[in-house]
Amino acid sequence: MTTASAQAAATPGRRVAHWRRARRLPGWVLGSVGVIVALAAWIALSQLLAGGGGVINRLPGPAAVLRELVAYASRDLLTDVAASLRVFGIGWSLGVFAATGIGLLLGRLPALGHTFLPIIEAIRPVSSIAWVPLSVVWFGFGLTGKVFLVGLAVFLVVIVYAVDGCTRIPDDLARTASMLGMSAWQRFRALILPGTLAEVLIGSRVALMAGWGTVIVAELVAADSGLGAHLIAVQQSYDVPAVMATMACFGITGFVMNGVFSLVEARLMPWRPRASGRAT
Amino acid sequence: MSGASSRGRAAVLRNRLVLPTLGAIVLLAAWQATVTLYSLPIVVLPPPWQVATTLVDLFGTAAFWRSVGVSLYEFAGGYVAGVLLGVVVGLAMGESRTIRAVATPVVESLRFIVPFAWIPLTVLWFGTSLVGKIVLVAYAVFFVMTVATLRAVQNVEPTLTRVATMLGMARWQRAVRVHLRAAAPSIASGARAAAALGWIAVVAAEYIGSSAGLGFMITNAAMSLATGVVIAGMIVIGLIGAAVSALIAWLSRTRLAHR
Repeated sequence: MTTASAQAAATPGRRVAHWRRARRLPGWVLGSVGVIVALAAWIALSQLLAGGGGVINRLPGPAAVLRELVAYASRDLLTDVAASLRVFGIGWSLGVFAATGIGLLLGRLPALGHTFLPIIEAIRPVSSIAWVPLSVVWFGFGLTGKVFLVGLAVFLVVIVYAVDGCTRIPDDLARTASMLGMSAWQRFRALILPGTLAEVLIGSRVALMAGWGTVIVAELVAADSGLGAHLIAVQQSYDVPAVMATMACFGITGFVMNGVFSLVEARLMPWRPRASGRAT
Repeated sequence: MSGASSRGRAAVLRNRLVLPTLGAIVLLAAWQATVTLYSLPIVVLPPPWQVATTLVDLFGTAAFWRSVGVSLYEFAGGYVAGVLLGVVVGLAMGESRTIRAVATPVVESLRFIVPFAWIPLTVLWFGTSLVGKIVLVAYAVFFVMTVATLRAVQNVEPTLTRVATMLGMARWQRAVRVHLRAAAPSIASGARAAAALGWIAVVAAEYIGSSAGLGFMITNAAMSLATGVVIAGMIVIGLIGAAVSALIAWLSRTRLAHR
């Protein structure tokens, strides 16, 4: 302690650095300050707007939203989340599988790739969300239409990664494979498939949030089950606290999904540096 | 030598023109064949030529152009506001450790509430007016831009920071004149991703609570089972999305050409 302060006193530059370091609060303290300020601003705004909102309480405070969240959790939150996750799970896995298969096909057979990849590129800017009205016409309000939409969203994201993964096999690895006299099948098993799957894994993580966003829009439009249907129901009864509580549920579910996928990814590809959550 | 290059040109011609055209023909033929073979009613799937004529008819109506105008107006307003706010907040978070520590938990937790989940609330708050969509786009774009700017500023070559410090630049000068400039290309690619998300947020918001715009046009068409209009509208939405993305790419290429 004394030596540290003596050293710090020795050079003015170092003393400033030392003083700065001592004054710097730990990250979690600053983080909670941020959260508290945000909550305080929210409460202040809700107080301010409480009188002038007419019949609808336009901005309820955090306490009211929390109460609503607890009430929803004790009623049918779990069934709604399960319904949404079911749509998401089926659509997402179908999308990833289809994209991997078709991606391998189009990536490894250049003639097919040159023929059909431009079509996929042309469809890609039409976000899956633009397909919602068409899927309502085609499939009605049931599960099929939503699975179609999520699958499409995930497919259009993952296909790019799949094609990339199977066309960009490192040259030295390809040379090693031919030097070892690998057969076409061995080369596929040992070289192309792992390379593609690693890229597909990255793509399916990016597709996570694209798919989840599509689930939300699909359920808002074709509101028959799931979190989105509940959100529309409470919105139509002008229940703002319940609307905000349901939005929080969407956020929490997305956050948990992202976290789970990060763990799986770290487990499957330990050599890759961990990417922080990409929410959009 | 010339034989090899002409063979190369032939391959390019085949891969860039012949095969893609073949693909488009296969797609249209499959579409037409599905309609004829299963004798699908127009309500389910109109044949390609009918969608094409619907599209041409749409181009001739004033209502269509009004819808396009409304959607673009909502998008542009929200996009500009979101990009500006996002760059400012992201830059502040990148420059100051304290601001970063304070803002990160709030930004991260709000970021997971995807913009689409906000649509019903914006309808309650702003009704079916255009303001609600502008706010929604700004929200969607803001978070993409904040995160993109923060990452870009943090990845600026440390030597540049040291040089700026050595030249005696003040902190804000360093931020704006060195860091922001060095980070500009990465921020521009973030701006492209943000444009795609913002454009689709406009369309989604128009599905749920609105009385104008392209999203409103195609949900209305879907409810009256005018499938041709729905598909034509989707094509227009895709074209505008691609055009906006290309415009931003072109802007960043020409404006940032000095590096």
